[in-house]
Amino acid sequence: MSTALNETKANWEPLIVAFCCTWCSYAGGDLAGTSRMSYPSNVKVIRVPCSGRMNPMFVLRAFQRGADGVLVAGCHPGDCHYTTGNYHGRRRLSAFKKLVEFAGFEPERFEVRWISSSEGDKFAEEMETITEKIKALGPNRKMRDARWQSVT
Amino acid sequence: MAERNVDELKKIRDVVSQDLLGGRIDLLLGWEKGHYWWQSRPLFAAREEDLEKLTWDSFCAVNLSRYLLEELKDHQKVGVLVKGCDSRAFNRLLQDNMVKREQVILYGLPCPGMLDYKLIVHYAEAEPVGIVEQNGQVVIKTAAGEKTADRQQLLMEKCRGCLYPDPVVYDQLLLEPQGVKEVEERFKSIEELESLSDEERYAYWEKELSRCLRCYACRQACPYCSCRECFVEQENPRWQGRAYQPSENFMFHLIRAYHGVGRCIDCGECQRACPVDIPLQELNRKLIKDINELYGHYEAGLDNETEPPLLTYRPDDPAAFSEK
Ligand code: SF4
Ligand code: SF4
Ligand code: SF4
Repeated sequence: MSTALNETKANWEPLIVAFCCTWCSYAGGDLAGTSRMSYPSNVKVIRVPCSGRMNPMFVLRAFQRGADGVLVAGCHPGDCHYTTGNYHGRRRLSAFKKLVEFAGFEPERFEVRWISSSEGDKFAEEMETITEKIKALGPNRKMRDARWQSVT
Repeated sequence: MAERNVDELKKIRDVVSQDLLGGRIDLLLGWEKGHYWWQSRPLFAAREEDLEKLTWDSFCAVNLSRYLLEELKDHQKVGVLVKGCDSRAFNRLLQDNMVKREQVILYGLPCPGMLDYKLIVHYAEAEPVGIVEQNGQVVIKTAAGEKTADRQQLLMEKCRGCLYPDPVVYDQLLLEPQGVKEVEERFKSIEELESLSDEERYAYWEKELSRCLRCYACRQACPYCSCRECFVEQENPRWQGRAYQPSENFMFHLIRAYHGVGRCIDCGECQRACPVDIPLQELNRKLIKDINELYGHYEAGLDNETEPPLLTYRPDDPAAFSEK
């Protein structure tokens, strides 16, 4: 890995990308907000229609372009707005998580969680937890695109 | 000079030439000798005289079913010689609706395993000029004399782990079945890699993948890679960049392997086709191993009735992440 990528800035803060399904987890995030619960601003939420919509390339692209951790959040099994999207997602994301770990990523870097629209507290907690874990791990250098400069 | 069995070749030629002459098929996909004696390449035989070039020796590794995708555009009915892996590749294409069963005649060839030229050179310790095979032994001829090796030791990597040397689908079986054979432990190298630390594994893959030329020969050879537009060539969005750097190498290799979940027939053609010996099978097999452990044993290409694991689910499926 190039030396430029290996320099850790003194006041480094992790960047976490959270892909949230619009019906449960994103709504859970909304509830956290309207209930005035706070969660770390390190987490950038991207809304997806369903956890079954997750294309693994979204995850890898996030790692290429600066993410230190990636989270996919969807409705609890049985509660999918499209009935079966998260059942399919569970199989696909399980296989993908293991592949990403096989490639050498620490297991904490890519996670999947079920968060319902009434679980504002769980949403805030999960975001807190993943941020802490990634802080402890330090910056991600794996798969980072050497040409990519973060704008923040 | 690499004949294995003259009688077998004669039998194959008799059957297919009858069908080609009789109009039962208008093209035969087989093998012919390539530039070197240790190469057998695809033969596209449309006429009787083309069949004179037909060969069946220990170098017919190329999977012929994959060529159906192109050949069925110009031909009504194609005959294909299929080894075990070619037959499972055919099932794979059938399952993806890429070919029609009635357009193809499959001639089954139970396969003794193909030989790896690099291993022959390694054992000969000199430049080999040809081989002769007898009773499971391979006599390698070199300018300095002869060397004998066990056939088993010279097998291609893809054949050493092959579970199904006998065709699983065919119209006519032309040779005697091989039956169950002893194979190398399929997931041994995967387990070894799994036991490394994250850093070591990343370093391993960064190094191995750094050789990738992005020639996509692995994709061209693969019987499940039949997408009309592959993500690597997609322009909008452009997922796959063209730069040669780790981030793009990982993108290609992880996604290519992932597209094979429940679809990869473990034929090893991708790795055989790779000009820079990237251990692609380790990525494919990792996924086969995990999905089997999580969601039950499944072998792609064996039959077309069992549902592939990613096309189905059970409400009580386990997950590789915490569901709390
Ligand atoms: S990925 Fe490789 S081993 Fe799997 S089906 Fe394709 S060519 Fe065969
Ligand atoms: S790599 Fe993926 S997109 Fe490309 S041909 Fe294979 S299956 Fe299709
Ligand atoms: S065949 Fe080998 S070099 Fe070519 S794209 Fe595939 S892995 Fe890369």
